[in-house]
Amino acid sequence: MTKCLLCGRYYTAKLSFTSLFSISKCQEGGICPNCLSKFDPVPAQHCPICYGKAENNELCLDCRNWRQLYGNDLLSNQSLYLYNAAFHDLMVNYKRYGDYYLSYVLQTLCSNQLNKIKADLYIPIPTSSEHIAKRQFDTISAIYDNLVPLTHMLSKISGFGAQGEKNRLERLASKQTFFVKENFKVDRKSYRVLLLDDIYTTGRTLYHARDALKKVLPNAKISSFTLCR
Amino acid sequence: MENISHLAGRQWLSSQMDCSIKEGLTKTRAIKHGHCLRCGARVYAKLPNGKKYCRACIGLGRIVADDFLIRNEQTIKFPAKENGGLTWKGKLTNSQTRIARNLIRNYIAKKDSLVHAVTGAGKTEMLFPLVAYSLKNGERCCIATPRIDVVSELYPRFKAAFGEIKIGKYHGREYQEPEADQLTLCTTHQLLKYFHAFDLLIIDESDSFPYVNNSMLHFAAQNAIKLTGKRVFLTATPTGDLLSSVKAGKIHLLKLKRRFHGQPLPVPREKLFLRPFLRDQKINSRLTAEIIKVIQAGHPLLLFVPRINQIGPYIAALKKIPELAEIKIAGVHANDAERIAKVDQFRSGQIQLLVTTTILERGVTFNHVWVIVVQADDKIYTSSSLVQIAGRVGRAKNDPEGLVLFCYQKYTSCIRTAMKQIRGMNQ
Repeated sequence: MTKCLLCGRYYTAKLSFTSLFSISKCQEGGICPNCLSKFDPVPAQHCPICYGKAENNELCLDCRNWRQLYGNDLLSNQSLYLYNAAFHDLMVNYKRYGDYYLSYVLQTLCSNQLNKIKADLYIPIPTSSEHIAKRQFDTISAIYDNLVPLTHMLSKISGFGAQGEKNRLERLASKQTFFVKENFKVDRKSYRVLLLDDIYTTGRTLYHARDALKKVLPNAKISSFTLCR
Repeated sequence: MENISHLAGRQWLSSQMDCSIKEGLTKTRAIKHGHCLRCGARVYAKLPNGKKYCRACIGLGRIVADDFLIRNEQTIKFPAKENGGLTWKGKLTNSQTRIARNLIRNYIAKKDSLVHAVTGAGKTEMLFPLVAYSLKNGERCCIATPRIDVVSELYPRFKAAFGEIKIGKYHGREYQEPEADQLTLCTTHQLLKYFHAFDLLIIDESDSFPYVNNSMLHFAAQNAIKLTGKRVFLTATPTGDLLSSVKAGKIHLLKLKRRFHGQPLPVPREKLFLRPFLRDQKINSRLTAEIIKVIQAGHPLLLFVPRINQIGPYIAALKKIPELAEIKIAGVHANDAERIAKVDQFRSGQIQLLVTTTILERGVTFNHVWVIVVQADDKIYTSSSLVQIAGRVGRAKNDPEGLVLFCYQKYTSCIRTAMKQIRGMNQ
């Protein structure tokens, strides 16, 4: 019997032949089938660029807007779940209340899919230092640190407010606050870079992060991965 | 010094508001011996920096190992009011008066009480004399219940009964500035914010979720009263832990076996089914016959199903039955946006058949309603839910009887216990 990290009930975890013989770390992030079923995976019909809501393989509204700014150089993004009430509750508990243990749940939700994406650099979106000080952990790194080797290349200027507290127009209008840390050395011509974040809402954050990286790595092939769209 | 008397009897975190130097406040480590002092839970979760934090009560603000709890143990002496501010002019029945007197007697004798009263006994009114007695002495009272719906239902009744007292109402769905009210109505979760505040704490529906079997809320209910404070538990189906406290002599049991109209509880009829209740989008013919009988008798019907996702299929199948073609059928569940509107329509007779989950098991009154529980053997129905569901029927003075039907495929101990309790209260 395992205790579900979300609802606190005990449940019997499914055992597979391989999980019996492997020493896997994600054991801790157990959630019961009932809680798991509350998360909606992104449907098969989605925007080919960013996994957003779109029909017949057309571009979603967000990507059409970005095309006016970036032409055909759009950021290809992969997301796993839709932002529904269950995910909202999970993120509120994780980020606003600072329940660090939920990072194990988020790891369980994405570990299989993330392991399929190969990249040379896995770069988490940084959190401002005042938020880290308040929560006593970094929300994005805490999710991905156990899953892939992270490179903390980006940093954030503090004092610009969180994206989560703004409305759509304010988010889109937010200024570049990311910069590349100076001590990073470029020793290869081209990199495959995967940006990691929790939620893709308008794409503003991830495009800013890509702009910042391109100054240092002009030839890098940059894409992104988020838990939620 | 800033006045903090509005926070009398409350506790908060040093990180939320630091005024530790003030008079009348105490400061304690929030986590001691591996347990959280606000909610009593064992603290096991760790932040990456190694500090422990409490997950159980995190919704009230995270408690980390080096935080402090600030407690305001000021006692406010409220002005003594004649008759305790009670303006209620109604009259109690003889058996209600007996309970009300015993409650006051236990309170004076510094004893906790458990009131085991049948559904529809008029529990709220029985509390008025005790609350008035306590308020008259300038003491502080609280009525807490696990459910927000019940808080919202009790508030207007207490407001009408205690016209001269300002009542504080607190629950998680609406923000209220904290005040030191002499009479407080709140959910059991709100009790976590109090420390040694009340002389009298009444816990209504103490057998219902989330209070039942929740050690955090039990801890809060203990912490919220003064060391000299007393508690009263109200329930129609007492839980094992309360009954064992009664046996140990810690709580005094008061039983009220009759409804306010003096008639016995309707005893449920049980019916064994061999075939499934719903197959190929068709309802079992024996169940259909029972449903038609209720509708033809002219009674509104509550049809209980165990799970939300069964409501849709049942409604679809019911609408195909020709005998039910003329009546309006609807379904309601906890996440239903139109929940309140549908319940009102059912109450006013616009909807004749309401398919529902256990959300309507308690706290609601519908005139002349009859009830059928499909899959009464499902594990979602505890004996306490079944007793509560049966208690929806026959609440009116002019119609004290009615049909309660438990449909099962496998007889469970919960059905047996529920039947035994109902028969026991009728003796």
